[in-house]
Amino acid sequence: MAKTYDAIVVGSGISGGWAAKELCEAGLETLVLEAGRPVNPDTDSVEHVPVWQMKFRGNRDRKAMLMRQPVQRNCYACDELASKFFVDDLDNPYTTDEGKPFLWIRGRQVGGRSIMWGRQTYRWSDLDFEANAKDGFGVDWPIRYADIAPWYDHVERFVGISGQAEGLGQLPDGQFLPPMGMTCAETHVRDAVAKYWGRDRVVTIGRCAVLTQSHNGRAACHYCGPCHRGCVTRSYFSSINATLPAAQATGKLTLRPYSVVHSVIYDPAKKRAAGVRVVDAHTKHLIEFRGRVVFLCASALESARILLHSTSPEFPNGLANSSGQLGKNLMDHCMGGGADGTIPGYEDRTTYGNRPNGIYMPRFRNVKDRSPNFLRGYGYQGGAGREGWGRGVDQAGFGADFKRQLKELGRWNFGFYGFGECLPRPENYIELDPAKTDAWGIPALKIHCAWSDNERALLKDMSVAAAEMLSAAGATDIRPYVQDNAPGLTIHEMGTARMGRDPKTSVLNGNNQAWDAPNLFLTDGACMASSSCVNPSITYMALTARACHFAVDAMKRREL
Amino acid sequence: MDRREALRVLGAATAVPLVSRDLLALGRDAHARWRARPEFRVLDADQQALVTTLTDLIIPETDTPGAKAARVDQFVDVMLADWYDVDDRQRFLDGLADVDARSTAATGKPFTDATPAQQTALLTTLDDELARLREAHQSTSKSFFRMLKWLTLVGYYTSQIGFEQELHEHIIPGMFDPCRLLDAAARGGED
Repeated sequence: MAKTYDAIVVGSGISGGWAAKELCEAGLETLVLEAGRPVNPDTDSVEHVPVWQMKFRGNRDRKAMLMRQPVQRNCYACDELASKFFVDDLDNPYTTDEGKPFLWIRGRQVGGRSIMWGRQTYRWSDLDFEANAKDGFGVDWPIRYADIAPWYDHVERFVGISGQAEGLGQLPDGQFLPPMGMTCAETHVRDAVAKYWGRDRVVTIGRCAVLTQSHNGRAACHYCGPCHRGCVTRSYFSSINATLPAAQATGKLTLRPYSVVHSVIYDPAKKRAAGVRVVDAHTKHLIEFRGRVVFLCASALESARILLHSTSPEFPNGLANSSGQLGKNLMDHCMGGGADGTIPGYEDRTTYGNRPNGIYMPRFRNVKDRSPNFLRGYGYQGGAGREGWGRGVDQAGFGADFKRQLKELGRWNFGFYGFGECLPRPENYIELDPAKTDAWGIPALKIHCAWSDNERALLKDMSVAAAEMLSAAGATDIRPYVQDNAPGLTIHEMGTARMGRDPKTSVLNGNNQAWDAPNLFLTDGACMASSSCVNPSITYMALTARACHFAVDAMKRREL
Repeated sequence: MDRREALRVLGAATAVPLVSRDLLALGRDAHARWRARPEFRVLDADQQALVTTLTDLIIPETDTPGAKAARVDQFVDVMLADWYDVDDRQRFLDGLADVDARSTAATGKPFTDATPAQQTALLTTLDDELARLREAHQSTSKSFFRMLKWLTLVGYYTSQIGFEQELHEHIIPGMFDPCRLLDAAARGGED
């Protein structure tokens, strides 16, 4: 008879890594199933490879990507060196509606997308947790900030977050390592904005999961820059740099790569999940694994896809879908309204080193005032540095003088780039495509998703407000813009198995436990009942740790 | 005193001791998979000579090596062979032919055989034509000379010569200074 694990975790990305760590450290024999290959931070990290050793000097391999990664190539981080961390789109197909593109950026390997994530880490506040209840979109969150705050503390202490405490209600402070420095032009804009808007609009240094001092056995950042290519010194947080080694150290972890989860097995007698079915990526054979609890951490779309595919006489439309909400309410942050401008002065100053971080401006719309144009709000990422040699392409001249000019530094350019909250709407949903399967025979997703007028209004306001602040800061050559980015590209997809207070309208309860199967937990982005406007990963981590401790306690009480 | 040189020395002195040199070398050597000089696959010998001359006029040897020494011609050939679509490749080759045609019309000699003064005059004309497109807010995406300039700058500044000798950049700075005084850096990094 097959071994029964105490816990099965599906996925080894940012959520799965945390589930593995917390469950293993609680003493549970834990099986982590990862669809992709193993990744070794020592030998697979390529951040120090000089670009002159690369055929295209680090620019993406255009033709190869058009062939095999036509979706992934849209991600800024999918370059010549890092493209190996992104999926092959032909092996991993999905479909969309005509004229409604969705860009699904994916990493299938041990560590998942935590290897090339953006590392920005911001807490949610009650402004976010109360949003659905206040304006009626989506369902009310079953938790509030007080429920998750200690878990933010818990995960932040392990992760190592550099940042500056600001004392703002809409962006709670956390457990911070020393902040990274702001450039001269950033300090200039911060002070100018403060002069006009006081504490209503605050420019702060980005809060990021990159170490500014050694922490829990990991080295401080050495400012090489391209984190998305990996990190031999483990200076940024990822599953392979931090949580999986911690889980491994307990002796309780079994990590099985090349394990493509097919479905969750449901036991109708016990009304529980019995385990999972896996397609071995090499043999394509179907294998079953048994577990006392199952944690789905495969990413918002993958976890929902697995459940939609877990059909049984009791759940013909997918396990944990008695509410009919599974796959619905897909969200992604709308990004790309903003403005750039030139900051005069500071010609005798520059930066040294490559800071893997920028500035952040927390949400200021619909915080105190109430916007007539849209619900909820947005924050800005951004920053300033001096122009380098690249400006020469569109500058007149050639020869020795031209070369000398390009050796000198150009203008200080400052940019505000907005990330907006996306409303949860049932019209944005996923289903299994009846006609298409992936390379392992599992039905592909059909993704139906489009922005609403509210997201479009946010993007427009991001552009106007950014230009206004640059103007207040004395910037010249102000260039406002509104990009037309397809949903998915922000890579903050979430909401497809929402938490809620009522089993009739939600998939998960306040402990990320499926209403329909109490030993089934889902703690990745699928669980989100709304999207806030801040980068979501630290919230997935906190919710995962919280759900793990809930599950372990319930198992100890023999309730699970 | 070259301030960049001073930065380089400073950077070396402040390398983070926690970072094992062996560890850093590991990633570097494991992935040096494209180093050998490739065979030229698009440019014939004359075209290669013309590209070498043109790119070295844009980024010449000064107190540091120029485009020729950085082998920008190789980079251009790789890009033409494996990066650009057929249309763009042909536009570039047509642009090279046009340079020779113009040179022959003006001087009776192909570009590489013209005098430095004649070469500079023709390049000035090409650069002025590109500038007029920009000033008229017309698309420069089909301009041969812009393509050449882009290839030259990318090829040069991302080469080892460009990165290390011209820009004095470091793969591992070891620190981040957000607002460094250039003069202080030039004096040796007192800040």
